[in-house]
This record gives sequence, structure tokens and C-alpha cells, in this order.
Amino acid sequence: MKRREGAAGLLFLAPTIIYFVVFFALPLLISVYASFTNWNILSPKRSVVGLRNYQKLLADPKFWIALKNTFYMLIPIPIYLILGLLFAYACHKKIPWERLFRVLYYLPYISSIVALTIIWKWLFNTEFGLVNYALSSLGFAKHDWLNDPMWTKRMIVIMISWKFIGIISIYYLAVLKSVPAVYYEAAKIDGASGTQQFFKITLPLITPTTFYLAVVGLIGSLQTFIEVQLFAPDGGREYGVATIVYYIWQKAFQSSQMGYACATAMLFGLFILILTLIQLSVSRWWVYEGE
Amino acid sequence: MKGNNMASIKRTALRLLVWFVLLCGAATMVLPFFWMVSTSLKFSNLVYTIPPKWIPDPLNWSNWKNVWKVSNLLTGIRNSSIISATVLVFATLTSSMAAFAFAKLYVPLKKVLFSILLSTMMIPLVVLLVPQFVLFSRLKWIDTLLPMIIPASLCNINMIFFLRQYLTGLPNDLMDAAKIDGASYLRIYGQIYLPLMKTAIIANTILLFMNTWNDYMGPLIFTHSQERQTVQVAIAMMNSHYLQQTDIPMVMTASLIAVLPVLLLFILAQKHFVDSFALTGIKG
Repeated sequence: MKRREGAAGLLFLAPTIIYFVVFFALPLLISVYASFTNWNILSPKRSVVGLRNYQKLLADPKFWIALKNTFYMLIPIPIYLILGLLFAYACHKKIPWERLFRVLYYLPYISSIVALTIIWKWLFNTEFGLVNYALSSLGFAKHDWLNDPMWTKRMIVIMISWKFIGIISIYYLAVLKSVPAVYYEAAKIDGASGTQQFFKITLPLITPTTFYLAVVGLIGSLQTFIEVQLFAPDGGREYGVATIVYYIWQKAFQSSQMGYACATAMLFGLFILILTLIQLSVSRWWVYEGE
Repeated sequence: MKGNNMASIKRTALRLLVWFVLLCGAATMVLPFFWMVSTSLKFSNLVYTIPPKWIPDPLNWSNWKNVWKVSNLLTGIRNSSIISATVLVFATLTSSMAAFAFAKLYVPLKKVLFSILLSTMMIPLVVLLVPQFVLFSRLKWIDTLLPMIIPASLCNINMIFFLRQYLTGLPNDLMDAAKIDGASYLRIYGQIYLPLMKTAIIANTILLFMNTWNDYMGPLIFTHSQERQTVQVAIAMMNSHYLQQTDIPMVMTASLIAVLPVLLLFILAQKHFVDSFALTGIKG
């Protein structure tokens, strides 16, 4: 009986296991091995070069520029977390038109990055964009936003923050609704002001959600790529917009240096993993775990 | 009494201020889209007028007709529909099956298998990008839709995790009773537990559809010919030239059409949509 059930169970799990072996474990192993070779997809010769890819990588100034830009892409995380929380808090307090506001705030999130970038680029167009029009009618000089790497990066930061506010608020709203009203009533009796209630009750109770969103946000933001590829297909002037994933993509698919790209991906993947583990271990200092 | 009055005036003023800030925020969310609609209805020579016109005059509907002929949008929609439909059907099937096995069946090494699966979520996907490309080229899948279809159809870890959680909460009596009646495991899954998972599945598939339809990175890397473009690649290509040379109203029209399916789904199933976010993880 048990053997039959075990066999049935394995059959039910077969697609998942196939996926894991073929599309996850196998590529991961290939990647580890390839990172120690000079593998180029254009030439059939391939030899093990040891740590040479890693040495070359650490000596490449472009890698360090890309790393710096990658960290720049973390800026949206605190912005959308704070604005998302404030928006959720306002919705929780039953503001007029709350339902309509919520629908509108989700709008950017459900649109594709490609469509968002297209509108964004058009809004910031130097000659005919709405932004420059507004600036010039206020008496400011027009700016060539899209050819300035610093501004392109800021634009991506603003766009991502803007995109995520609505969706982040859904998570916070769900937690805010789950806080027992008794907590607030008790605080009121003790004479706690609204601000005190927010900082002493609400904020500690939402730390698990904040933690989850920060971890997921970190892993996602460190792998920012599409926005860069769409805003600055060549990586921007002086590589000023390129991120690490962009760097990997360029090495692998534009100059066919597969081994080198794998080395970069391995190093960076390891870095993200360590960062995530650090986040997990420091979490107990600030994440509220309940009674 | 007077102090109380002051406090309530202050509170009303604060609420009004908050409401005003939210209104401004809502405007930034909507105006770009409104500007897109407006531009899509302009004649291309009127796009560059200063000051910009919010309501086009005269209205030009021809973009909505011509966009199908001048762009690769139709091919893109066809390909994206094939990918989305296949992935939706098969990912739901395979993931619910896996969740059923994890939650309700005896499977040797089940706990180990599940933790391995969970740990894959910790590995940044960028690590797999290059070797997956190599694997797909060995399989002769490059420039077909298969790289977007097959892996996603075999397994969706988010969905497995979520459905397993859901099934674990359901009682085992149903299972035991069915076993006594001599029902096969396939029937127990298909006739008892699958219908019970319906709401949870709907929430997941909405999110999955959105992510599949909006995916740009996969098709960008794994396809290159015109006939294999997905809808996102098709509109990105329209816009890839210098802005001054592109037909701006046409690009805006195409982008709007590409956003429309998810938008309609959002409007029709708003409650499910919100649930799907609140209940499952965010991606991308």
C-alpha cells in the first residue's frame, strides 16, 4: 500500500523533478564548471583556465562601474516601502475615494516594463517631452535627460519607486487590517497620541512584512537589467547606466564570452546569496516575532 | 469644549491634506497613461506641438486600424497568447499535482525534496541565464517559443508552495474515505482536491498570466527572428530607433494594445487580483 502511494507520489512530482534536474541543477553545474574555462561559443576550443576569469573580472574597471550602478538600483526599495506604507495607512484610515485611489495606484504595476519605459522616454523626450515643456514654461532650462547617465539612473529609480507603491501597499494593508483593534483602544485609554500609536504599535507589528519585502526587493533590485537595456541599450555614456546583470548579458550574448560571463554570474550570485543570509541573520534584531 | 473643537478642525485639515497628497499621487499614476491614449489618437505631425494638447484635435482613429499592418504586433500577440495559454494550463496542472503530493501523499524523502525546492528560490536567476541559453541551443530551442513554455510549464515554485500550504490546511478524511472506496490517486486528486483548490488556483494564475504576458527578458535572449517575437519584444522593437524617426502615435497605440489584456483582466477580476498579490510573493 505504502509502496503504491510512494510510486504515485513520485509520478505526481515527476514534472517538478524533471524541471529541477534539467533546468536548474544541470545549468547550475554547467555554470560552475564553465566559470573556470575560457569557453567562447564561437570557437570550438575550450580549456580550463582556473581562476583567470575571476582575476580578469576583478581587474576590469567596467565591472566596478557596473557594481556601483547596481547598488544605485537599491535606492527605490526604501522609497517604495515608505510611500507604500503611508498609502496603505491612509487607505486603512478610510480616506474618501479610497477604492478608486487603490485601483489607480496599481495601474503601473500591472503594465509591462516595456510599455512603461516607452511612456517614460516620451515624457522625458528632450524636445517634445511633457517634462521639459513643464520645466521650460516655469522658466527652467531644458535638459537632455536620456543622454545623461546620471539622470537615466535617477529616472529608473523614480520609475521603479513609482511602479511599486501600489503593490507594496497591498501587503501593508493586509497586515494593518489584521492588527486587533483592542491594541489601539488600550493605547488610547493610556493616553497615547496617534503618532505614538503608529510608532509603538503599528511599526513593530509590520516589521515581518517589511523584512519580507526588503529581502525580495533586494534580490530583485540587484538583478536590475531590463530597465537598463531599454533605457540605455549600449549601457549609457561611459557605461554609466550598466548594471552587473547587464554586464553579464553583454559579455555572454554580445561578445560570446560564455566562460567569463559564467564567472561573473557565479561571483555575483554568491554575493547576493551571502547578502540574503546576512539579512536573515540580522533580522532577529529588528523583526518583531510576536508573543 | 473649545479645545476639542480646535483638535477636530486640525484633524479635518490633516485629513484634507493627506487626501490632497493622495490625489496628486493618483494623478502621477494616471496621467502618463492618459497622455499615451491622447498621443495614440493624434496625427503624427501634431505630436510635436508646443504647448502639448491633452485632447487631440482632430481625433485620428487610423492608428488603431493601421498598427496591425505596419507593425509586428499581431505576430507578437499570437506568440504571447500561445505561450501564456500553454504555460497557464500546464503550470496549473503540474504545480497542483506536485502540491497534492507534497501535502497529502506519502513520498520517500518528501521533506528533503521540498527543502531542496525551496532553496532554489534563494539562488539568483542570473546564475542560470548563460547555461540555460547553452542548454536551449543544444536542444535546438533557440528562436522557438519552447524556452518560454517548457520550463515554466513543468514547475512553478511559487504556486507549488502556495497550494501546498492551502492543501495542508484541508482535512485528510476525504482522502481516507476515497481510499476505502478504492479510488485511484489520480481520481482523488482530480475529483476531490483539484476542485477544492479552485480559488487558490485562480489567484495564482492571474499573477502567472501577468508575469508571462509582460515577460521581456526571456524572449529577448532566447528568440531573434520576427516570427518569434512576443508582444513585448514587438513593441520594444518599434521604439528602439531614435524617437524622432519613429511614428510616436503608432508606438503608443501598440503599447496600449499590449497593456490591454492584463488591464481588462484586472478590471474584471479586481478582487482576485488583489488577493493574488497579498497571498503570493511578488516577482520582478
